Order: sequence, then structure tokens, then C-alpha cells
Amino acid sequence: MKIACFVEAYNFEIKSEEKALLKFKSTAETMGHSFEFIYKDDISRISDYDTLFIRATTDPSSCAYIISRLAEQYGLKVIDDPHSIRTCSNKVILHDIFQKNNIPSPGSVLFYGDYSHEIIGGIFKSLGCPVIIKTPYTRFSSHVEKASNIAEFIEISRHLLRKAKVLVVQEYVRSDFDWRVGILRNEVIYLCKYYIPKGGWKVKSKINGKNVWGETIAVSRDTISPELKDLSINLSKHIGTGLYGLDVKETNDGFKVIEINDNPSIYDGFEDVIDNDIYEKIISELVS
Amino acid sequence: MIIVSEEEDDSDSNPLFFLRQPVYDSVLNINHDYRYLRMGYYVSAHAETFGVEVTPNCTEIMDAYRNPLLMEKAKRNGIRTNEYRLITSVKSEFNAPVLLFAVNPFTNNSMKVVDSDSKLPEMIKRMSMGARFPVSLHPLTGEVHEIVQMFGESTNEETLAFTKRFYEVFNIPICKLVVQIDDGGVVLNHCEPAIKKEVKWDIVHDKMHEIKQGH
Ligand SMILES: Nc1ncnc2c1ncn2[C@@H]1O[C@H](COP(=O)(O)OP(=O)(O)OP(=O)(O)O)[C@@H](O)[C@H]1O
Repeated sequence: MKIACFVEAYNFEIKSEEKALLKFKSTAETMGHSFEFIYKDDISRISDYDTLFIRATTDPSSCAYIISRLAEQYGLKVIDDPHSIRTCSNKVILHDIFQKNNIPSPGSVLFYGDYSHEIIGGIFKSLGCPVIIKTPYTRFSSHVEKASNIAEFIEISRHLLRKAKVLVVQEYVRSDFDWRVGILRNEVIYLCKYYIPKGGWKVKSKINGKNVWGETIAVSRDTISPELKDLSINLSKHIGTGLYGLDVKETNDGFKVIEINDNPSIYDGFEDVIDNDIYEKIISELVS
Repeated sequence: MIIVSEEEDDSDSNPLFFLRQPVYDSVLNINHDYRYLRMGYYVSAHAETFGVEVTPNCTEIMDAYRNPLLMEKAKRNGIRTNEYRLITSVKSEFNAPVLLFAVNPFTNNSMKVVDSDSKLPEMIKRMSMGARFPVSLHPLTGEVHEIVQMFGESTNEETLAFTKRFYEVFNIPICKLVVQIDDGGVVLNHCEPAIKKEVKWDIVHDKMHEIKQGH
């Protein structure tokens, strides 16, 4: 089969990402398929391929969405499919899905900019203090902020509402790491711990003015707790059958899902250290 | 059916109220702007989360509002387009005059008419933000018109048959269309949010009544 892998130049900037992309290519070729990197200038000839794997960052406003939807319409198998992109890229839609399906997650409300005492007081009363504020389109932890009091909440939310129509406000759930559960076709294919760097509270934190990423520790998928596994598979079924990465916090009160991503990062020497068959699994899914 | 509209008369719910409630019935979402990340979009997304039918749904919205998707769907459904190209830099086979539409997350109302070849490279460079995003290039063959489409009706009499077909295919209750009119008829080039005051709300109200009664 002819596999197209949609990328942008930045996908080759970090060595471990480039190496992972080359592993996808060599795995596909070993399995008897062709695997070609394609770019935004190639969008119009997507119907020349049998299947599409997107590694460029996805968002409904990106070129990745356009190629995903065109490929779907031409009948190609697509990872990430347009529905998964639309759903996972938007924190407001995820909030809605979590509430509707009782997904265990931090207490969460939508905020449209009503600064009345009743609304603001209600937010802090129901979510406690501090609260986390997110725009719908956060990515790589940007536009995710913490407010420790009402004054900070007003300042941060006013700033974020200049671009966003609505914000998600959440209870702050402290943890040393986020579980990252990699899911494909509603099965767990890898498991990691994404640690929060010391002095920060996000996997990518600004510490002394510098962006710092926490460590990634791969863990065997076979050791996943049944509770985390059921929760992850159940949530993935509400989105689709594609490739997803869930971020989950483990607390005394059970697991709490932070988000489900389409287009999860797969870097050589990170997510693939223990369950190194993820390349075969993903290629097999693309050509199935 | 629940009618959700930013125009309070006749509607069952306004978008903000609707977004706070569970949904159990099909939804007609009336808005002048369905762009991704706007209220019009969230109403449809909320309805989809609850598994009910909604007009327009999020796939339909994206298919209409993103230029290459609009063009491909139009072509597949026999709506006339002219040979558009997605480009990030100038290639010799393109000759002015052309219409250009930015395909990036930031720009709205992005139509640019370029009437001389010498101006093309600079304009494409600007609209593609230095080749970071594609630009959709359409040959200019007719007279360019901007019309507002409301449930298949048009603000321009000459395009009525065209807007009726557009609505059948795209299912977007209200939008602005950029078209060209030439000897062969109407050619579709672009779809974007309507400006609220350009919408003929009396037509929208009549259509809403019809739809409600039909239910
Ligand atoms: N309610 C919360 N309580 C505590 N920490 C949170 C909460 N929500 C998010 N975080 C932390 O903030 C970071 C970014 O959050 P989130 O995953 O929601 O946004 P994102 O920008 O989509 O992230 P990424 O793209 O890095 O996965 C993560 O490290 C996450 O653990």
C-alpha cells in the first residue's frame, strides 16, 4: 500500500522526532509498503495514496485538517481523522464530552466573561483555590494558566478572553506526573509518565523565565492499572478508533482525566522505549 | 426540533443558554457566523456531543468555510467552480487576473483581486505568511459578486437558482458567498460568515416559521 505521511519542516527539527519518523518509514517498508513524507504543497494529490498518517500538528484551522478531510472523502484510511481532530483540539468540546459521559476529571466549568460576584464567587466555591484557566485551543501547555485568587483570575481571564469566546476553568489537581496512555483502535499501545519539572506545575513549565520539559519515563503497557485502562479505553470510544494520547492524573480520589489528544507525540527514545512495537501497530492499522 | 438563534424572536433558545443545557431534540442552529471557535460553531458541536441531528453539523461547517474543502465538495456535487489551485509560491503557469483567498487560521474576509502578473509574487508571499500557509488561487473570468445566502434565498435575484442548489449541497442556513457571474452562469469561489446587518432577517424568520410548521 502507498502510505502518505503528512509533515511540516518543524517535524524534523528535533532529532528524536526525526528518528521516530524514519522508524515509521523503515517499519512500513519492511512490511512491504511505500511510505512517503508529504507537505502542504502536496495536498491536492492526496488521492494518489491509499492511506494517510498525519504527524504535523493538527487543528481544525490547520492544513492538516484540510488534508485529513480530503483524504477521508477520497476513501483513504486516515490517522488523525477529521472528527478526532475537531473533538480533541478543543477543550470546550472535551469539557462537554466529559460531563455528558461522566468521565472522571477535575471539576470544570465554562466561563464566558460574566464577572458578576455571583458567577466568580460560584466558580471559586465549586472548584476551590487555585483554579486552572484554559483557552479552547491550548497546545503544548500554552494558554493554560493558574489563578490563586479572584484578582489573578480576573486579570488572566480578561487577557485570554481577548482572543477566545469562552474559557474552561478547572479545579487544580496536583501531581508529580501525568500518566500518558497511548491508545490505538481502543487498545492501550504504550504507557508513560510525563513528569512535571521541579518548581513547575505543568509538564512544560516556565521556570526562571525558561521553558523546561519534565522527564518522560516509559512504563510497560502490561502493568497498567485496570482502572486506568478501563477509563482510557472507555473515553477513547467516545471519540473514535484512531490514535490518541490521554493525560491522566492519579490522585487519592482515583484517576482524573485531563485531556485526550489526537496526534500524540511519538519520539524515539521516549514513548517507544519499552513497548517498541508501536511503529508496527500503527502501520498495521493504517494499512488494515 | 429546537431552534437556536442569536435573534431572540421566534427562537427557542439563544446560543449561551443552549450551551448550558443537555440536548434531547434535533437542532436548527441559526447564526450569521459559524466559524470555528465562534458561538455558531459551539452550538453545533454541543448538539453533536449529545448525539442529536443538527443543521448545520460541524463537518458541514468546516466543509463550507475552508476554501479547498468548499471547492472539492462543490465539484463533486456539480456546482460550478473554476480550476482553483492551492499554492505557497508563484509558479509560471498562473496568470493574472486572479482571485486569492488565504487558507490560514488567522485571516477572515481575505479575498484579494490581483490584476497584474507582476503583483502576484508579493501578494502570495504576504497571504501565505512567507510560504507558511497555502493560498487558494482562482482565475478571474467573470464579474465578482458578494451575495448573502439565507436558506437557499439570495440577496441577488440573478443567483437564486444557484443559492438554492448551494443550500441543498452545503446545508449552511446563512453565509456570504463570493461568486463570479459570466456567460455560463454563476461560479462559486468562496464562503465566509455573513455580516449581521447584511442578512435579511425577515427572510430568515419566514423560513424558520416554514421549517417549524413542517415539523
Ligand atoms: N486541572 C488541572 N490541574 C492541574 N494541572 C493541570 C490541570 N489541567 C492541566 N494541567 C496541567 O497543565 C499542562 C497542560 O494541560 P493540558 O493537557 O490541558 O493542555 P495542553 O496544552 O493541551 O497540553 P499538551 O498539549 O501539553 O498535552 C499539563 O501538564 C497538565 O498536567
